[in-house]
Amino acid sequence: MSKTYVVPEEIASANTLEAKLEHLKNIKGSFNVYRVDCGSCNGCEIEIFAAITPMWDPERFGFKLVANPRHADILVCSGPVTRQMYYPLLRAYEATPDPKVVVAIGACGSSGGIFHDAYSVWGGIDKVIPVDVYIPGCPPHPASIVYGLATALGILDQKLELKVHKSGSNESPEIKESVFNNILFERDVLAKSKQLMGYLHGRTLYTKYMDAVKEAKDIKDTLQMRITMGRLSSEEEDPRFEECMRTLHNEVYLDHMKVFKNIDVADKFVSVINK
Amino acid sequence: MKLLDMTRKYGNATYNYPFEPYIVPEGFRGKPAYDYEKCIGCTACAVACPSNAINVKLNEDQTKLVWEFNCARCIYCGRCDEVCPTNAVMLSNEFETAVRFDKENLKERGELDVECCQECKKPFTATKLIAYDIERLRRAGWDEASLTEKTEYIRTCPECKKNIAVENATKYFVRKK
Repeated sequence: MSKTYVVPEEIASANTLEAKLEHLKNIKGSFNVYRVDCGSCNGCEIEIFAAITPMWDPERFGFKLVANPRHADILVCSGPVTRQMYYPLLRAYEATPDPKVVVAIGACGSSGGIFHDAYSVWGGIDKVIPVDVYIPGCPPHPASIVYGLATALGILDQKLELKVHKSGSNESPEIKESVFNNILFERDVLAKSKQLMGYLHGRTLYTKYMDAVKEAKDIKDTLQMRITMGRLSSEEEDPRFEECMRTLHNEVYLDHMKVFKNIDVADKFVSVINK
Repeated sequence: MKLLDMTRKYGNATYNYPFEPYIVPEGFRGKPAYDYEKCIGCTACAVACPSNAINVKLNEDQTKLVWEFNCARCIYCGRCDEVCPTNAVMLSNEFETAVRFDKENLKERGELDVECCQECKKPFTATKLIAYDIERLRRAGWDEASLTEKTEYIRTCPECKKNIAVENATKYFVRKK
């Protein structure tokens, strides 16, 4: 959607950078914040209220949520600006005394987030009114909110800047050596462990399983492998890792060993659940 | 006074955050960190990204494949981390992502060299992706002769591959009159 709201001359002239910096100097130690919800899912609101609890306590630098835009120095806007919230946002913006600092919070507030190409939203606070500070996150962690508000006040400096990587080698990235000269085994173990435990713990499971495999003397000796795997998996503190390592042995390892020899019943683990 | 004693007993609950670093818990999903050296330009992350925060596109003059990440749109779901075959995109512990005035500072870009199709000479994929594919096949036990012979199709774009397949299939049919 095209931009229709033009900031009136008297508001624009009262909101220059110099005026804002002068204002921040004058009000140090006491900042009143008004929160505008422009069609947010309430995730950002919950995190804002988590950020003003004693756990984070932004009143240390004088933050206070107020109930009226006429009392506010800072406007915190969340949500992708739905059509219905367009005029209320403008009313809150014009009611706030000059100079004012506008903070866009959340992925939706900064750029539209997951709704960036939806028909019923404007796609970000900056499409409607000028924004000074962006706090991305879906929702932002209370620590990011405290950091963002401190950035708005000029207490902290911003850490991110545009990064562009221009040139590098065209060589393939390093591929690790396989345990028995077949990378398909590693691929299947990784895929199965991600399926069993998700991407985060699946990666831990993969390293644990591969370490256990390397501990066995002969990889192709299936009975020996079962004994080693049984010993190492029962040493795991978390029973989920134990069960999943045994599942990997039964389903992936023995499947790859079928080529070399016949699989006995003795090579397999009996599941704890099915016992 | 009793209340003060009780407070002293239980200690201070407030994090002294901006003045000392906040240590995030294990498994925290922060800003995805991009490792340009490991990225092969396979576009798996761009396909998986639900909010289109990651885009992989050819640039305007079609000389580079550009991986672009827009942190303002990212919802920290971790799907890019899950699908990346080389662990080039991994969620980091970084949560201090606020920027002032300019949203461009939230972006990150990586430019990869492109490979041109051997039939139509149009760019279609990253050179590094082809190098990675061939290296994987070599590790899976293929010898050099079959690598050069059988991987011809890897340097052809999908459009030309389709045309060649149709041509080969219809070569033996003669239209009835």
